[in-house]
Amino acid sequence: MKNAKPKIGWLCAFAPEEIAMAAGLLPMRLSGGGESTAVADAYIYSNLCPYVKSILALGLNGKAKHLDGIVFVRSCDGMRRLCDVWRSYIGTRFVYMLEVPKNRDEAAVEYFASQLRKFARALGQEFGKEITLESLNQAIKITDQVRRQMQRIYHIQCNLPLPLSGSEVFQLGLEGMHTEKKSFAAKLKRYYSDNKSSVKPHGKEGKVRVLVSGNVVDRSDLFNIIEAAGADVAAADLCTALRYFERTVDEDSDDPYLALARRYLGKRRCARMTGLNERLAEVKELVKTYAVDGVVYTSVKFCDQHLADAPYFVEKLKDEGVAVLFLENDYTWADRGQLRTRVEAFVEILGNRRR
Amino acid sequence: MLKSFYEQMKKLSEEEFQRRPRGWLMFGAQLASIMLEAFEEDAKVVWTTYYTFPMELLAAFDVAPFDFEVACNLPPGLDPKGCADIMAEAEARGYSVDLCSFHRLALGCYFLGYLPKADLLLTTSHFCDGKTKTNQILAQYYGKEAIMLDVPNEFSKESVAYVSGQLQTIAHKLEEVSGHRLDLDRLGECIRASNRARAAYARLAEMGKAKPFPWDGFRLCLLSIVGNTFSGTPFQEQLYRKIIDECQQRMAEGKVAPEEFRVLWLAWVPAQPTNINEILRTNKVSIVMAELARIYWDEIDEKHPFEGMALRCLKNPYVGSVEQRLTGVLQLAEEYAIDGVVHFSSTACRHANASFRIIEDALAKRNVPFLVLEGDMSDMRRYSAERTRSFLETFTEVMAARK
Repeated sequence: MKNAKPKIGWLCAFAPEEIAMAAGLLPMRLSGGGESTAVADAYIYSNLCPYVKSILALGLNGKAKHLDGIVFVRSCDGMRRLCDVWRSYIGTRFVYMLEVPKNRDEAAVEYFASQLRKFARALGQEFGKEITLESLNQAIKITDQVRRQMQRIYHIQCNLPLPLSGSEVFQLGLEGMHTEKKSFAAKLKRYYSDNKSSVKPHGKEGKVRVLVSGNVVDRSDLFNIIEAAGADVAAADLCTALRYFERTVDEDSDDPYLALARRYLGKRRCARMTGLNERLAEVKELVKTYAVDGVVYTSVKFCDQHLADAPYFVEKLKDEGVAVLFLENDYTWADRGQLRTRVEAFVEILGNRRR
Repeated sequence: MLKSFYEQMKKLSEEEFQRRPRGWLMFGAQLASIMLEAFEEDAKVVWTTYYTFPMELLAAFDVAPFDFEVACNLPPGLDPKGCADIMAEAEARGYSVDLCSFHRLALGCYFLGYLPKADLLLTTSHFCDGKTKTNQILAQYYGKEAIMLDVPNEFSKESVAYVSGQLQTIAHKLEEVSGHRLDLDRLGECIRASNRARAAYARLAEMGKAKPFPWDGFRLCLLSIVGNTFSGTPFQEQLYRKIIDECQQRMAEGKVAPEEFRVLWLAWVPAQPTNINEILRTNKVSIVMAELARIYWDEIDEKHPFEGMALRCLKNPYVGSVEQRLTGVLQLAEEYAIDGVVHFSSTACRHANASFRIIEDALAKRNVPFLVLEGDMSDMRRYSAERTRSFLETFTEVMAARK
């Protein structure tokens, strides 16, 4: 398409889309979809995260040619190595590894801000558009607008019974990760005004309510399984849901890079960040806020960070009386049959606990 | 179990040293001693990562440094079955078998009460996610603070300042734990000791260029990883000098094993007993160098110790893009007249294993044979002796054909 914006792919919720937008690019989250990972095994180790392998398979199969650039983040060991392999074997014009600290203190924020400035300079040089304060602030404002709108939708999900289908809200959020923010904001405005009346002022409890927590989920299979089992997904503590849309940037800051660094490092933790107990406290808070009956904690296979956290999380949540189901998944949710059986049993247990 | 293992190791190493005063036994006895210090009642025990944390800083404090990875993963060398049973304790509590055996074993040791106390749990973000995560989990179980030295994957004045600043914060924390202030003169002495050891180590690494190689390549690999335990202490230099003397003596006396093929070893060495050494010896293959044995860091500037230690962290070959690692591998392959390169891919060591193709392709351009040897460092359930034999023997044939 003539005059279409160059596209930059991203893979982790720590990637600052605002900077890419300010450089005149269209940022879009990459999803491996149902891509077979067999081709990737020849380039990257077989027992690596299936999300990483799916993305690599996309590139190797020539399905990432629409991208003018791709930004990786030091999310985990798998992503670090994916960036190396991508750089070596996939001919994307601009490949960038953004350094994101794992700590969240002031030194980490300042260091991250320096990396964001460096990223901005690299984008400006590559795509020939200098990022000005004005363009960056504009990008921050529209991104924040989308965040606020999604937060408003999430907020109504705190009500009993659940006003909107969890899978529908999740799908809506996914759409916002690869579309132009301005048009998505308009869509969210319409969606909210069409659906705000779904809230029943003093509604009954309704179905069993579940919080989904974990790492990368970019298909609604799990949500569909939970809903088919007779439960509602009230909230999703995922890097493709709450963790992506929460917390806005200080829009009046003199230093937008510092403000961005604060927003990204200050948002709800995922397993890559330090502060295991703090992350647990954040999940417990969601349990209360969304009045859920139980938590489905899920991780893709071979994710050392989430897999290692799982036993501690399950134990501590159970200690506090929160029912938890841990589900390991292969990213494509191919083993739906088994998962369905486990989810149905879990929903039944939650139903019995209510009585 | 862990304490008694190191008591035995110390006793046997010391007794054997009386009969045969070898550097390797000196190393064993000293390593066991440092592990045992952590079990002393009044010790201030700081958990750390011997092979990545700048140990010079810890050497400047009255603390007992303890690395759960190293401590828990020497015992499989003697009792792999018992250690697999310990891992099963962690697995029974929900820790996935897909996690690294090093970490499952450490968690199992914790659940069975084998680990010493911890006053502070330090670690670094390099090399892998698994170590930092296990450190955090253990800190929660102990109810103690976990500090992670966050080492970025890019090299710039900002990253040097970021790491250096964190090291200064850690020094304050160590003051609290040890109960004494950081003595800059003492730190300076530790830095000087480290620099002297570096110079000695450079001479030891040069030994690998001799044909045939006068030492044991597996020991060189282990020393390059675990030897850092003593960075900042005079013992490290003494140890390297002793091993150099022994190598020189062996060369002078012609007591060196015959060598037909020279191999560069990448990534890790198994901690459990394997048939690798036996196969290599039978086929006259010497491991003459390891990528982790390369001197990648410059001397630490004692006038700017924190910055110097930060530089050492940032220049580690496993930090940054694969380019940093690859440059080192190619340099070693050339300098050490290598006939082949073996990458020991321990099952869950994703950060190392996932670069195999890039390394393989770069070596292929130089006509250097490359083997990915799959196995597991500590989990005997994931090691196949027959498969290893088949892979290594075929690889030897490939090296022979290319010669």
